[in-house]
Amino acid sequence: MSTIEDLKTAVINGRRKDVKTLVPELLESGIEPSALLSQALIPAMGVVGERFKNNEIFVPEMLVSARAMKEAMNVLEPKLLEAGIRPEHTALIGTVEGDLHDIGKNLVATMWKGAGFDVIDLGVNVPAARFIEAIEEHKPHIVGLSALLTTTMPAMRDTVAAIREAGHTSVKLLVGGAPITQSYANEIGADGYSRDAASAVDAAKEALGV
Amino acid sequence: MKAGSYAILACDVFQDELEHLAAGEPPWTQIQYLEMGLHDHPDRLRRSVQAALGELAADSAVTHIALAYGRCGNGLLGVRADRCHLVLPQAHDCVSVLLGGRSRHDAVLKENPGTYFYSPGWVRGRRVPGPDREHHLRDLYAERFGDDEEMMEELIDADRESFAHHNCAAYISIIDRPEAKRYCRQCAAHLGWNYRELEGDPTFLEDLVRGRWASPRFLVVPPGHKIGADGAGNLIAVP
Repeated sequence: MSTIEDLKTAVINGRRKDVKTLVPELLESGIEPSALLSQALIPAMGVVGERFKNNEIFVPEMLVSARAMKEAMNVLEPKLLEAGIRPEHTALIGTVEGDLHDIGKNLVATMWKGAGFDVIDLGVNVPAARFIEAIEEHKPHIVGLSALLTTTMPAMRDTVAAIREAGHTSVKLLVGGAPITQSYANEIGADGYSRDAASAVDAAKEALGV
Repeated sequence: MKAGSYAILACDVFQDELEHLAAGEPPWTQIQYLEMGLHDHPDRLRRSVQAALGELAADSAVTHIALAYGRCGNGLLGVRADRCHLVLPQAHDCVSVLLGGRSRHDAVLKENPGTYFYSPGWVRGRRVPGPDREHHLRDLYAERFGDDEEMMEELIDADRESFAHHNCAAYISIIDRPEAKRYCRQCAAHLGWNYRELEGDPTFLEDLVRGRWASPRFLVVPPGHKIGADGAGNLIAVP
């Protein structure tokens, strides 16, 4: 019989097909969808993030793990809704204007979904005005801003400033991306920072005070 | 500012340009290259640069080490030398260096954020998006997944997806390398991207390797200080 540990291993190794059969099998055996999330998927992405940080794996391996995680989420999301678990928090996320990189942003979006947030993904190359429009439409609790390039770090600063200037002072702004540091986050007035996707859930919860 | 005896530490993405500049008599006392692409893992880049600086500084005649690098995804931040001055172009990365500075680099990206830059060095490495990228990945993963075609395909497909938002292959023409230019066109055709040619500006590299390190184009870091960055994106010396 398959175990939660098997699912975790399959995600770490990027075995999308195995994940596709393991998730329904484990649910069938009576394991709660939330347990699959908290005991297999989220810890698995934590391991993958750690391996990448330690130079043990390259970007493509991280991507296949993310795909495997997404595969699992596709099955789990409707199950979580059926079980009456309604997202308590809404999150907007996007890569800032001028930046087309979405690996990190997509990982964070998946991790936040996994943590039970309702996630609205605005995509890449998102102008400040579009973030503001979406904040007014969706009234999110948190907004995640991503930038991979040092060329687009100024756009992140401008976006944070524009959101605040538009009067959205209570929404929590979280920033991340390869060149972003805690001190840069402080400097531009963000409410939170996460150095990798695995810790983005903790960073969001901390900013929300939950 | 012109120094007496200086060494060069360079990313090998610049090898074609530097050899071209050194034709005749190289102005530096020694030169060391590190492999391109280390910026994918900034911590590894930092460690490699730090170790190479130690080797170059072992020659007591060397007073300055000029780095043919930029900020490179923050991989150069934190680097220091105890005895030598470090010299660094004010650049995001090799693209800024080849285009002559950060402002032009920023302008090209502002015009089209979907630009992917190619240069003779990147073309030589054959890991740029294009017809040979798949071979590069197959080599990289041969040992681990060589007999697992399904996984190999999954890795290649995921890698391809990571470039999906780009739409333009821009070749930076800085030295005469018709075959590299042709290859870039070939990459653009392979990916269904537009092709664009950008005229490179060789003076930045030239000034770096000839010891013409005037501020604000170059940062000179005194011995014992670290390379840092301020909030505006400028590289600075940090005590």
